[in-house]
Amino acid sequence: MTTRTTRPRRRDRRYASPGAHAFAILLLLGTLLPFTWMVLSAFKTPMELNGVDKRLLPGGFYLGNFEKIADTNFFTYFLNSVIVAAATTTIALLLAILAGYGFARFTFIGNRGMLLIVVAAQMFPAVMLAIPLFITVKTLGLLDSLTGLILVYISFALPFCIWLMRNYFMAVPVETEEAAFIDGCSRFRALWQVVLPPAMPGVMAAAVFTIIQVWEEFLYANTFIDTDAKRTLSVGLNSLIGEFTTDWGRLLAAGVLVMIPVLAIFGYLQRYVTQIAGGGVKG
Amino acid sequence: MATITTERPRTSPEQAAHARRQRVRRQRLAPILYIGPAFVAIALIIGYPVFNAIGTSFLNASLLAPGQDTFAGFDNFTGLFRDPAFWVVMGRTLVWAGAALIVQVGLGLVIANTLNKKLFARGAIRTTLIVPWVVPTVLVALIWRFLLDPVSGPINEVLRGTGLWENPPVWLADTRFVLGVLVLISAWKWTPFTAVILLAGMQQIPPEQHEAAMMDGANAWQRFRNVTVPGIRTSLALVTLTTISGAINNFNGIWLFTRGGPVGATEILTTMAYRTAFTEFDFGKAAAISVIIFVMMMAVAVVYFYVVEGRKGDKR
Repeated sequence: MTTRTTRPRRRDRRYASPGAHAFAILLLLGTLLPFTWMVLSAFKTPMELNGVDKRLLPGGFYLGNFEKIADTNFFTYFLNSVIVAAATTTIALLLAILAGYGFARFTFIGNRGMLLIVVAAQMFPAVMLAIPLFITVKTLGLLDSLTGLILVYISFALPFCIWLMRNYFMAVPVETEEAAFIDGCSRFRALWQVVLPPAMPGVMAAAVFTIIQVWEEFLYANTFIDTDAKRTLSVGLNSLIGEFTTDWGRLLAAGVLVMIPVLAIFGYLQRYVTQIAGGGVKG
Repeated sequence: MATITTERPRTSPEQAAHARRQRVRRQRLAPILYIGPAFVAIALIIGYPVFNAIGTSFLNASLLAPGQDTFAGFDNFTGLFRDPAFWVVMGRTLVWAGAALIVQVGLGLVIANTLNKKLFARGAIRTTLIVPWVVPTVLVALIWRFLLDPVSGPINEVLRGTGLWENPPVWLADTRFVLGVLVLISAWKWTPFTAVILLAGMQQIPPEQHEAAMMDGANAWQRFRNVTVPGIRTSLALVTLTTISGAINNFNGIWLFTRGGPVGATEILTTMAYRTAFTEFDFGKAAAISVIIFVMMMAVAVVYFYVVEGRKGDKR
């Protein structure tokens, strides 16, 4: 673990130059304009979207695009993704808490060794594992099922989550749990009741990491799932894009609906997102 | 788990010895109990398939003829190496990764350096800039395919309207532009991540170093060059590693936009492997391609650890 140095900010320092602020505004525009345009366009009528009556802002609150989503399986995809994300995150975190604790307290693999394993696991080409995983999942009889996907996603989330939890557990002094042992607490109970609470930020960061991964994942979901009603959001949305190429209104409305939970989760947990990136540097 | 009650009855020496033995055994078993479940999951879903993929690359294996795999030696590899099309894809993959590195790390440095200054609402700016990173690629694809759409998309509309470009191309269907456009869209999504890591590195640099440099009359560029960059070497190395490996491994960033098209103009090794496996059903050849990707990854990782290890004296 690194020693924390003092923050470079000082209260008496003046604000940065106008040039730096102008650049920041440019970055904000570059980030936000695409999203803004999606939201605005989702409320436009087909006429407004496709050229006859082109305008910057929608003429009114046209909800037809959103109504059209109901004709598709979009909400099923959505629900599937929520189920997969919830199950994956719960199970992966339980396993990662146990293993992270195990690595923090029982083994002597150094920081560098652990980091090497985690980085290596992150770097395996997803495509490389697609074929053997396809066969493995098929052998387990889990092809075309959400359970198969959950199993795969858990395993892929684990290395990083374990590493994160281990780092947080290392920061919890051993004395706290030894005190609990003296009070007659078993090691297992001490983990949940004494060691885990101070490491909760790590749990949150690991959860955010896992959820982002699950929402992002396309390759395996596309390969292992056949039935339309079992598709997850990324695969389902992609198939809708292929199906309704020219019906942008409907697609953008779906995009807005995908955006809402992402922003909600992100807004609630955003400080943990920076910790994920920070976790990569801590070493 | 055995529970230990708080009120222990007085025990005989034999009982105490037995309890001690049991405790020792439990302590030996404990690591397995804690690490075991995760280990099994990783071994089953990552470990075994890795070896299986390497094995498959030496087989004539096809999904169309299950159970009839035959040993092929290095045929899958030599077949690829003799195929000029493979080298075109390999070259494009390297260009793709190199461009990603230049754009994402270059822009990431500039962004991090800006965010490291005292800006109005800096926290809010930083939070907003990360948003593209948490958005799934399929949504990024939806947004940008719309923005670049030749009929409904605003980008070509603006280009035509302002007279900048009378006949703007159909960006994602034009072999001259498509790869570059995908590089930029990929950068739009991934640069925030790079910037956050670099920013974290910059915030570890003690402000006294900047002040000392300022005292010596160093201008902004000199301070960036001689204080900031050396101070974030570890973060820079990490970001270089993640960007290169992320680009070579990237599948969604291509497939969800163009599926490697038009006419193979955006085909990289990952999309080629996927196509070979799941539309041509040639598992052996696809496994060989993915093993080649894997070897490239390992090469990148070895260079990374060599570079980081080579600077052991540095504080991390």
